[in-house]
Amino acid sequence: MTDITADRPVRTSVTFVRAKGSDVSAVGEPFIWGMGGALAFGVIMILGFLALVIINGLVTFWPKPLEEVRLSDGRSFVGEPVRVETYRPSPDQLSKLSDEVKAKILSDGGFANRSLYRIGNFDFYNNDFQWVADFEVAGRSKPADLYLVERQEWGVFIGKITAVRAGDESLENPTYNQINAHFDEARSLRAERARIERVEIGEINHRLNAGRLEIRRAVLDAGGDENAPSVRRITDKVAAERVDLDRRFQEAGQKVNDVRARDGRFSVSLTEVGGQTKTLPLSSLVRFYQPNKLGPGESLAIYGSRWLEFIIAEPREANTEGGVMPAIFGTLVMTIVMSLIVAPFGVITALYLREYAKQGTIVSIVRISVNNLAGVPSIVYGVFGLGFFAYILGGNIDALFFPERLPNPTYGTGGVLWSALTLALLTVPVVIVATEEALASVPRSMREGSLACGASKWQTIKWIVLPRAAPGIMTGLILAMARGAGEVAPLMLVGVVKLAPELPIDFTFPYVHLERSFMHLGFHIYDVAFQSRNSEAGRPMVYVTTLILIGVVLVLNVFAIQVRARLKKRFQGSQF
Amino acid sequence: MASPALKPQPVSPLEFDPTIYHITEGQNGTQLNIDDFCLWYGATQALHNNTLKIERGLVTALIGPSGCGKSTLLRSLNRMNDLIDGLRVSGSITLDGEPLFGPQVDVIALRKRMGMVFQKPNPFPMSIAENVTYPLKIDGVTDRKILAEATEAALRGAALWDEVKDRLDQSALGMSGGQQQRLCIARAIAANPDVLLMDEPCSALDPIATLKIEELIDELRGSYTIVIVTHNMQQAARISDNTAFMYLGRLIEYGATETMFTNPKGRRTEEYITGRFG
Ligand SMILES: Nc1ncnc2c1ncn2[C@@H]1O[C@H](COP(=O)(O)OP(=O)(O)OP(=O)(O)O)[C@@H](O)[C@H]1O
Ligand SMILES: [Mg+2]
Repeated sequence: MTDITADRPVRTSVTFVRAKGSDVSAVGEPFIWGMGGALAFGVIMILGFLALVIINGLVTFWPKPLEEVRLSDGRSFVGEPVRVETYRPSPDQLSKLSDEVKAKILSDGGFANRSLYRIGNFDFYNNDFQWVADFEVAGRSKPADLYLVERQEWGVFIGKITAVRAGDESLENPTYNQINAHFDEARSLRAERARIERVEIGEINHRLNAGRLEIRRAVLDAGGDENAPSVRRITDKVAAERVDLDRRFQEAGQKVNDVRARDGRFSVSLTEVGGQTKTLPLSSLVRFYQPNKLGPGESLAIYGSRWLEFIIAEPREANTEGGVMPAIFGTLVMTIVMSLIVAPFGVITALYLREYAKQGTIVSIVRISVNNLAGVPSIVYGVFGLGFFAYILGGNIDALFFPERLPNPTYGTGGVLWSALTLALLTVPVVIVATEEALASVPRSMREGSLACGASKWQTIKWIVLPRAAPGIMTGLILAMARGAGEVAPLMLVGVVKLAPELPIDFTFPYVHLERSFMHLGFHIYDVAFQSRNSEAGRPMVYVTTLILIGVVLVLNVFAIQVRARLKKRFQGSQF
Repeated sequence: MASPALKPQPVSPLEFDPTIYHITEGQNGTQLNIDDFCLWYGATQALHNNTLKIERGLVTALIGPSGCGKSTLLRSLNRMNDLIDGLRVSGSITLDGEPLFGPQVDVIALRKRMGMVFQKPNPFPMSIAENVTYPLKIDGVTDRKILAEATEAALRGAALWDEVKDRLDQSALGMSGGQQQRLCIARAIAANPDVLLMDEPCSALDPIATLKIEELIDELRGSYTIVIVTHNMQQAARISDNTAFMYLGRLIEYGATETMFTNPKGRRTEEYITGRFG
């Protein structure tokens, strides 16, 4: 160590403490606070939204206890408590009340509490829900023997199961296990019937229809001459096939009747608290349990089975019950098809703009226009998609390749393909911008290294620039996917439907049917929230479906992010 | 450090003396003949009437203060400057008598005859072996055996084989800076070029890695004509046979390295070599 005091005087007073009142903005602190505040606000909004969806979505399927409510006027009903709120009873409602109750309400500022119950039994009451004010209630209890029954039709039933019959054998007031003993058999018979109807009869119908179309096609090919020899030949062939198909149709119908007869031997009688009874086939129940008797394990099992049904089953009862499998599937297929379209399209455009086009006014204008495309209202894309893709492109495809099906459109109406194309158009600016940025960030030294080896420009792009830019391109694709999966408005015009009879990918040739209309989670949310019989019944489904939609987008994104991480590791490495 | 008094004053072009040549035609013959070569970036002229003959099989060092046009001249030799908009040239450069500039020249074929090593190592985002065989991939070679042989030969040539022979299929990005630079040299020689162009190949490396590269250049001497740009006077003195000193886009003095360092004729050459400016 050298002696610094030798040539430098030692400083005695140290003044580096900031003076009080010195200008804080000089160090930029207000800006930092401002930015931090803005970030915190954004994060809180997002977390709040997620928490709302997740909490409401997760509790929906948990079995809730049933309450029997006795009213002071002697009536009573049974229901699942939904929520409690404070309201202001109307004056004429107040005037009917006893003085004591009225005084109590008035002392509370004219407010009273009321509870909403889900009472089910729509077939008996014409209503699924009922409000009851606290001052009307004489007593509440939780009878253990009450059942909650989910049915294929008419929604839930709440009440008692008073009888179960299997053939000639009939049991009055059966126990849970006695009902359950027959339930599985009845259910499997119903499933068998559904399978025959859908798969076997479905296939026969498909082939009958194909035969009919073949004849029409032949007639069209022969210039409308129904007696042309070529038409004759086809007609004869189809007629021969038809004999066989008709026979198989008869057999399948017979089978269905057999199964239905066997299934019909099982029935249950349901009796609501008012005493009205209804007898149903046992197989028309979906699930039944005694909510007030459930242990935690059984609750969990019901919870799990409801989620499973929701994810793998098809919707029932105008989408308010059952599952959303077709919507999940439709969303996934559409998003993936869209990505497959938008990725090459966006990347090629960006490559040309960045690498080949002469940078100048025209390219700048193109670039600005592309960026501005992102600001066009999405419904406009929907209108364009319907007009251009479905009617013009699809109409021409139909006229060229499927004339025998006209006037029924094949491609000439909304479908998965047109939806994916429309959304690809909507999201392509995102991919273009991200790709251009990724291309620009490829170090010059890499390109030069490749060119110096004697590579052509295209070889350099193919082998050096694109791999190196791949993670950045993936980022664009992730953003595009997230945007595309959440978009609903344009899809309502180009192919999304409330209920799609068939999935876009299935087991009938040619397996991928991109011309079909499809179901979409985003539209499903809109549908159950605003288009269903009862908004109260749709509300939990909105949360659950939103949760699923977020989940689907998350899964797609996590997958894409994984791919990007691998690309990054492979092509960018860490260089020091 | 140069003291302010010795800093060169801006000079008008007329003040430049003609280039001093200690050698004109070496005994090994001329590989690259640069004749009255001028280059403009848009309106600014970066090279003024450079004329020199680069000898076959020898190491020629280009030295000079920053911004004097060394890189520009080097990059003109394999036409890397073509990428720049608004570039113009006059005069001529020939490789073994064939002109480099002209409408009929196949730039890609030309570059295949000239390997280039850059200031910062620029391995490609691929495996080590793929990096080395990149020039062969460009030529469409897919035969695994040929590729494997070429990899080994080039890596041995670049004195890297022993270090990486067990990790040929690992990413080249995981190597050290010095290894990466030798890999780039291996890549440059894998195409079996006539000329190696190196633009300050050691400036991003530590002394030990620098030493390795210098040894490597020494080994490559004779097999390739090497043109190397360097800022390091000792390095130029150690590894090069001939040295060209440039200043403000002009070739000031050109001769055998020994002569240039022991007995420079030009005033600026002497000042630069003795470290009084630059
Ligand atoms: N792309 C370019 N456009 C315009 N001018 C350029 C360009 N590249 C280089 N120049 C100019 O040409 C002159 C020579 O540059 P060059 O890079 O050849 O110098 P250098 O001798 O390699 O310097 P250094 O030792 O710092 O690398 C400089 O004045 C520089 O500003
Ligand atoms: Mg340079």
